[in-house]
Amino acid sequence: MSSAKTDTIEVNGLTKVFDGRVRAVDEISFIVKGGEILGFLGPNGAGKTTTLNMLSTLLKPTSGTATVNGHDIVKEPDAVRRSIGYVFQDPTLDIELTGRENLDFHGRLYNLNRSLRKQRIEEMLEVVQLTDRADNLVKIYSGGMKRRLEIARGLLHHPEVLFLDEPTLGLDPQTRRSIWEHIQRLNQEKKITIILTTHYTEEADYLCGRILIIDFGKIVALDTPDKLKAQLEGDVVSLTFKAPETISKVRPLFEKKNWIRRIHLVSIDDNQTTASRMMNMMQGMAAGSGMMGGTSPGSTGGSKMPKHFEKMPPQGAISQNNSSNQPPGSKRLNLLVDDGGHRIPSIVKLVDEAGVALESVELHKPTLDDVFISVTGRNIRDQRGSFMEMVRRHRIMRQARGRQTHG
Amino acid sequence: MVQPLSGQAIYVVLLRELKRYWRAKARIISSVAQSIFFLAIFGLGLGGFIGGVGKVSYLSYLAPGIIGMGLLFGSVFSGVSVIFDRQFGFMKEMLVAPVSRTSIILGKILGGAVTASIQGIILMAVAGIMGAFTPTPALIFGALAAIGVMLLITAGFVGLGVAIGSTLNDFHAFQLLTTFVIWPLFMLSGVFFPIDAVPLPLQVAMLFDPMFYGVEMLRWCLLGVGTPLLGPLGWLISLGVLAGFNALMISIGTYLFSRAQV
Repeated sequence: MSSAKTDTIEVNGLTKVFDGRVRAVDEISFIVKGGEILGFLGPNGAGKTTTLNMLSTLLKPTSGTATVNGHDIVKEPDAVRRSIGYVFQDPTLDIELTGRENLDFHGRLYNLNRSLRKQRIEEMLEVVQLTDRADNLVKIYSGGMKRRLEIARGLLHHPEVLFLDEPTLGLDPQTRRSIWEHIQRLNQEKKITIILTTHYTEEADYLCGRILIIDFGKIVALDTPDKLKAQLEGDVVSLTFKAPETISKVRPLFEKKNWIRRIHLVSIDDNQTTASRMMNMMQGMAAGSGMMGGTSPGSTGGSKMPKHFEKMPPQGAISQNNSSNQPPGSKRLNLLVDDGGHRIPSIVKLVDEAGVALESVELHKPTLDDVFISVTGRNIRDQRGSFMEMVRRHRIMRQARGRQTHG
Repeated sequence: MVQPLSGQAIYVVLLRELKRYWRAKARIISSVAQSIFFLAIFGLGLGGFIGGVGKVSYLSYLAPGIIGMGLLFGSVFSGVSVIFDRQFGFMKEMLVAPVSRTSIILGKILGGAVTASIQGIILMAVAGIMGAFTPTPALIFGALAAIGVMLLITAGFVGLGVAIGSTLNDFHAFQLLTTFVIWPLFMLSGVFFPIDAVPLPLQVAMLFDPMFYGVEMLRWCLLGVGTPLLGPLGWLISLGVLAGFNALMISIGTYLFSRAQV
């Protein structure tokens, strides 16, 4: 298999322009080594899926080149397709068929003979623990079972490279954890090279050897999670207040202190799916609130901070799950400081002097969320600052995808 | 662009269509029942008051047309289901596989033709039981020939459905499709009235309906007669028109499908 090769994917100046206007992917170049898990981290509309669609030959690049497993994506699409498995972001199972039939269909499309198909289907069902549900129609599967079946399907033809587009989007914490374990095991046991896209920083941190941060079609950072976090020296002190409106009273005090290197105001919006965030944004728009105005980047947070620095047990690492004690709409103030432990007394003192009541103080090492804020100026789940831009790009990209020609 | 065909890929897409068809029992029952209502109510009701068409009873005249109706609706909807494949994502699974789009769509067309023809065979049996056809030894050959004709008719109309489904990306266009494409094709196909008994403008319109030739072919197979308008070689003319329509629709459907994007 591919373990002998060093560079499984080579991307050179890859660009996709939709409609001659929107540069969805803008001259990106990178290399993925055999057996590596590379994470594409970025907000919705950053260009993650477009990149995968180009690498999988579904979309033709506007310019630039790329090879997958040694095959050019434009000149040798069939060889590329044979080398890859692609687990799409949206469900792509035939729900009127059983799990086994979905796998069988896939095996036939990839020209596996009968005995090989039978053997691999059993093997993959075992891996994703669906053996006893294999003969049920997919329409009665849970979301997690469908996702596991799709991953099994993507691996059935033993691809050298697996593309996972938002593999755990919308899944509950237990299921997410089990899928993470599957992905990790596949990578370790079968030495499959994996590119996964995500906008969950915890997921990227937990799974990926290297992380490529992509924003508005451009690569803004590419390194191991630890090195990315090490770029932000120091600690993050995270404060919440009894009355959120009092934040504006203390913030100017912090801004005067030169030992506080960065200040970010972050909302704690747990439990919100992308869809409901969209709804909120729409409502915000309709209400004509000034959030699209000149507010500084990152100051109207649409997200929350994960708590710890270390690779946590996945259970606790789920962003949507862990701030249930906070009322909706709460905000926290994150201060990036050197030697946070020693600074906490001074910080508390400053808050006291302002006559503001603290709810909690928390100290943590910088996380990928902090890294994302520092390289893009925005919070990863905060799309409000660029709402109009995002909506515009999304609309155009969707329309263009519907029309684009590529055979 | 030349795309290599893969027999395995064509077969597997066909297999999927068959499985899906077989599992949607409610759909099979409702469309067969609908056709039976037409046959029974129009055949007996209208037949009692018209008598017959030419030498055959009205029920006999009606039966091939109603079989044609089942074929038409079944095949166009089967082709249009590429919209659903796209909407529900399964299309991506097929498009990212190392097989040509031509193979995928030929499998789809073949699958649609076979499932719609199964529907036609059921209707043919029902009409036979209702006494629509004169039981002679020749009828056995006629019925076998009719099955071949059914595949010919449906392949073209699945192609039409695929062409429409690849162009429209919208569920809502479905209603428009039914009203403005399928119903006129059905009404003008000479199901209820013979072409030589209607005013000239309607005659011309009927001659432009490919389904008209399909129904003619079925009448030749099952009743042994066609419309006097096309003469004794009417079956040959109809066969020619159907073959041409097929080639055209399958090409257009394949072209539009290969062009469409995920």
